[in-house]
Amino acid sequence: MTIFHGMNTSGSALTANRFKMDVISSNLANAETTRARVDENGDWQPYRRKLVNQESRDGKFDSFLQQAMNRTNTPGTGVRIDSVTEDQTPFKQVFNPDHPDADEDGYVAMPNVDPLKEMINLMSTTRAYEANVTALNASKGMLMKSLEIGR
Amino acid sequence: MDLFGKSTQNLQRALDYSSLKNQTIAHNIANVDTPGYKAKDVKFDQFLNEASSRLEANRTHAKHLPFDQMEQSFSVKARQNVTYNHNGNSVDLDKEMSELAKNQLYYEAVTERINGKFNTIKTVLGGGS
Repeated sequence: MTIFHGMNTSGSALTANRFKMDVISSNLANAETTRARVDENGDWQPYRRKLVNQESRDGKFDSFLQQAMNRTNTPGTGVRIDSVTEDQTPFKQVFNPDHPDADEDGYVAMPNVDPLKEMINLMSTTRAYEANVTALNASKGMLMKSLEIGR
Repeated sequence: MDLFGKSTQNLQRALDYSSLKNQTIAHNIANVDTPGYKAKDVKFDQFLNEASSRLEANRTHAKHLPFDQMEQSFSVKARQNVTYNHNGNSVDLDKEMSELAKNQLYYEAVTERINGKFNTIKTVLGGGS
């Protein structure tokens, strides 16, 4: 446990939140993308919404090791992105016979991205980012203050 | 020779506590969106147990180790009696932010007091000049 422990914790959260914002940007940018990848039949597949799975870094080995060595409880080392998965909800079917990707009935499969949902996720991620910046500044302020001990 | 006295030791423990608390709050805020995460708190609950189970003994030699050496008397525990969000997360961001501000002020107050202690010693060493 170093003196920069708290700052590292906030730093990991800043990284995770920035990554989440990148994924949300990708989802929003591809909200209308009908040609994201080719399936096994050689047909175009629309874009699938990406989901970020994050987990606490509590349960990791180094955290347990530190606990055993110090014989005290450690506060944990922040957060990490576990994986990025694809949302498996079905694609939206939109009637548009003029579209080049329309099937024989005139329906086009559109991505399962809901821009409203993405905007709400973006807002909560932004707020979380700001909260972590505040926490980082608090840790920094405390370290600066402890440098003044004995001045 | 006990130049710094007991209260400097106590202040040092207070700084330890405050810095651990800061790390815990930072960890809680970092996991504000993590599914299944339970908020943690720094508690003094070990204090009572240790105080009651402390070994009572006489030191027959001045160079023997004293028996009243206290271990770290606070620990990190998952916070009880809190409501959970739909994803099992129990971090209350408003509470964490206010705790953060409180803890920062507390830390600065203790730092001020330690500085006061050292200034006192400085004054003594300078013969009051």
